[in-house]
Amino acid sequence: MTGTDFPPTGIDFLPTEIDFPPTRIDFLSTGIDFPPTGIDFPPTGIDFPPTISVGGKSIPIVSQGCYFNNTINDDLDSLMENQSLLESKMSGLHKILPSLQILETDSKQLHGMVSFTSTLAENVSSKVRQLDLAKSRVTSAITRVEDVLDLKFCTDGVQTALQNEDYEKAASHVHRFRSLDENVLRMTTETDEGSTLDTSFRLLHEAEEKLRMIVSSKFDAAVHSGDLASIERFFKIFPLIGLHEEGLTKFGKFLSSQLSESSYKTLVLADNINYNDKQANVIYAETSTQLFEAIAKVVEIRQPLVETYYGHGRLFTLMKILQTECDRQSRKIIEKFRHKRDFDRVVQQVQQDSVFHRPNATEKFDPKVLDVLLSEMVLLNTRTELYLRFFRRRAVADIEASKLEEDKKKESVSIVDKFISNCDLSRLMQEIIGSYIMLEEHFMREMVLKAVAMDSTESSSQTSSMVDDTFYVVKKCTRRALSSSSVDGVCAMLNLACTVLEQDFREVLMSRVRKGFPYGFDLSQAYTMVQTSIQQGKIQSSDTEKEKTVFLVSLNNAEASCEYCKALKSSLEDEVRKLFLKCTEQSKAKLQTCLGDLGNVASRFKEVVDFGFSQLSSGAIKPRLKPLVDIFLSTSHNISEEDFTNYEANDPWVQNFIVQIDTMLANFKSTLSSGNYDTFVNHTTSEVTSQMEKAVMKTSFNRLGGLQFDKELRALVGYLSSVTTWTIRDKFARLTQMATILNLEKVNEILDYWGPNSGPLTWRLTPSEVRNVLSLRKSETEGIQNQDKTETKANKQKPPPHEKKRTPDMRVRPGTQEE
Amino acid sequence: MEDYKYLFKVVLIGEAGVGKTCLVRRFTQGLFPPGQGATIGVDFMIKTVEINGEKIKIWDTAGQERFRSITQSYYHSANALILVYDVCSQLSFDSLPHWIHEIEKYANTKVLSYLVGNKIDQINRREIPEHIGKQFAKRYEMNFMETSAKEAENVDTLFLDIAMELTKLARQQELDTDKSPTFSAGTTTVVSNCSSCFRF
Repeated sequence: MTGTDFPPTGIDFLPTEIDFPPTRIDFLSTGIDFPPTGIDFPPTGIDFPPTISVGGKSIPIVSQGCYFNNTINDDLDSLMENQSLLESKMSGLHKILPSLQILETDSKQLHGMVSFTSTLAENVSSKVRQLDLAKSRVTSAITRVEDVLDLKFCTDGVQTALQNEDYEKAASHVHRFRSLDENVLRMTTETDEGSTLDTSFRLLHEAEEKLRMIVSSKFDAAVHSGDLASIERFFKIFPLIGLHEEGLTKFGKFLSSQLSESSYKTLVLADNINYNDKQANVIYAETSTQLFEAIAKVVEIRQPLVETYYGHGRLFTLMKILQTECDRQSRKIIEKFRHKRDFDRVVQQVQQDSVFHRPNATEKFDPKVLDVLLSEMVLLNTRTELYLRFFRRRAVADIEASKLEEDKKKESVSIVDKFISNCDLSRLMQEIIGSYIMLEEHFMREMVLKAVAMDSTESSSQTSSMVDDTFYVVKKCTRRALSSSSVDGVCAMLNLACTVLEQDFREVLMSRVRKGFPYGFDLSQAYTMVQTSIQQGKIQSSDTEKEKTVFLVSLNNAEASCEYCKALKSSLEDEVRKLFLKCTEQSKAKLQTCLGDLGNVASRFKEVVDFGFSQLSSGAIKPRLKPLVDIFLSTSHNISEEDFTNYEANDPWVQNFIVQIDTMLANFKSTLSSGNYDTFVNHTTSEVTSQMEKAVMKTSFNRLGGLQFDKELRALVGYLSSVTTWTIRDKFARLTQMATILNLEKVNEILDYWGPNSGPLTWRLTPSEVRNVLSLRKSETEGIQNQDKTETKANKQKPPPHEKKRTPDMRVRPGTQEE
Repeated sequence: MEDYKYLFKVVLIGEAGVGKTCLVRRFTQGLFPPGQGATIGVDFMIKTVEINGEKIKIWDTAGQERFRSITQSYYHSANALILVYDVCSQLSFDSLPHWIHEIEKYANTKVLSYLVGNKIDQINRREIPEHIGKQFAKRYEMNFMETSAKEAENVDTLFLDIAMELTKLARQQELDTDKSPTFSAGTTTVVSNCSSCFRF
């Protein structure tokens, strides 16, 4: 072995390495040499003693010498301690030496072995590779041979198959031949044998041509004779001889002719339909549905056939041909529809009506007819959308299943989308939807105008008929548009519904509300008359009465419209969510925006309500409250003990005030809708507080007067709280705070409530207002000047008197705000 | 959708093939897609304008006749209308009076309207000189601009101009409604009454 040769040289090498440790050990010994030089030092120190002997101070110097001695001894000791350690290390190193030698040899040996093995493996693998190459050559040679054999077999087979009219067999031979690489085959054969190969090729090419012609003509013949079995038979052969497109086209044409035949029949049936038939009104929608169903059926049946024999990704070719026929037939149906339904005349008339605005045109057609027509148009579109969705789904699924690359797939899908959106059927439907929108808008507007014109008020309801009618119509129209499943159609109808509601309907309400609520004579009588007139279901002769009724009903109408609008929006939203679940994000966003506009219309109705209330406030509430508050002004709040007790028995103002407000509210309660009534009470309360505040600021109070006012205020708040459903105290916060100030025992008690002492109480009165209210206190007028100053000071500095101080006073005090 | 102060509706109208979709694409996405197919019905996009954080909702309508009734339904609620013609097409310019008639018929009277001559990048094929367009716009009291969606010329300017103009109008309107107490909510009126009463 070569391995054994190595060690000698290895051994030669070692000594040099072993030389190294000694040098290290040398270094250590020099280390040991060092201390002696250290020891040399003390002698020089010891040389000093002669000077020591000079005086009695010898002791320190001797001790210094001892000290040196000691340190040297310590050093020596520590060095000596190291000695054993170093020696053991040395012996260890000596022990290791031989094993290092062995390690060296062993590693060399290993290296040799590894490199030897690697060369060996290299040799073996190169041979294997050669073998592999040879093997693949052999297999390809075998395939070639097989191909040549196949070729021969095909050549013979084709001939016989053609003779026996076994076209499937012939086609499969041709298919086999087509899968061979002709050029390679030609190259691999020797020239003398080439002649037979050439003839084979020639024969096969001829056979292919022949087969193509035969299959083509046979297919045509089969179509001609209506032989379904042969049609399918030859349809399957086309892909084998490389005529995918031709096969699909021919087959598609055949299917188209079948479709056209059946469609013609249904159209004839549709033409002759009895008017009493259930489907008579939507017969053209039904006819087109039948056409779509027939196409769907064809696709359903033929899809597996196409997939099996033509592979995936080819279905669209066939569907395109079918769609062309579908377009043709649809056009026929739509033409019939236009003709039979007198469609063009209707459209023309509606267009004219909208141009000339003839509200009472005599030749106006029956809305019922229009209604029926609209339903059919919607149905036509729904069915078409459904069919086109089916078409797209099938075509895209087929493309997805094909072996194309992702990019190609995307491109193909976009081609399908483009085809669908540009096909004649889509175009026809876009035209239909266009007309539908125009007609539906006309229908909606006419019906809304009619609802407004035929407006009547029932005694039992607070709104008039036009609200219910209008929203019924709008809902009907928008829902019909929804059922068309055309996103653009729905959006357009939503837009138009908003326009009609805003322009044609809201304007009517607004103009009625704008006239205002008439006032100027005995109001309580007027209210009762309004009530009776509504109860009797007819309007009384008095113009003012009529106006009042109209105003209040319009106000209720606007409020109801606002609510209906919101309800309509949410119900349509629900339906949109359900119906347009699968449409694109873009379409959803479009629908959402148009629905959002319907919400804006609701707020436009709210504006009418608000405007109406501002009218009502100035027309009814303000003039009604004014004289009542004037009584408060004329009632003295600068009273004696006697007066106070007297007032206890004979209330000077508040009871009457409450009774009057109660009558007013009661009058409106029956005529206003509950929502409006709440708003009315709200407005009344605001008006009461604002007028009362003004009145208070014009009155002067003494201590008892303040107490009296507080009592009155409590009664008022108590009453108003009883008639409303929400808390009223907030509105009265300012007044109650005024009462608190007026009821203070002393003016400077205000400091217990003001600034940082206010505690949970939030002041609604500004500092200057507080000052003004304080100045209304009569008995303390002399103290006001002083107080005013302190107060201002208090405001600026906000001194912190203790909050708890005020609690005992609270019992006597009326201020209830801290609740 | 809540982070804006104003939301404006802008609707683009005009004959088929004058470049409405391209204008919108250029403004909203910064693209000029060649070989754009005809728009079906309406397309819609929202873009936030940087200046005041306004959002503009742009409705891009189909120019073809059969979509007319869909298109018309958008006029009423539009804040601004952009009527587009192609400077290379006399035909598209000639149809402008018809479009203006439509605007007058369906749109809000307060609508802001712009006349836009598109495709000015095609210098050699221009048929309508700028001054003719300007004159026409002046006659019908419209704002005028010439653009090129392809070269991104004046496109941003057009939309930003509209946004600024509309913001100005909206602010003006807010002031107006504040001035007329009859239209504001009833409660607000009362409150303002109170405060004025107590202002001694």
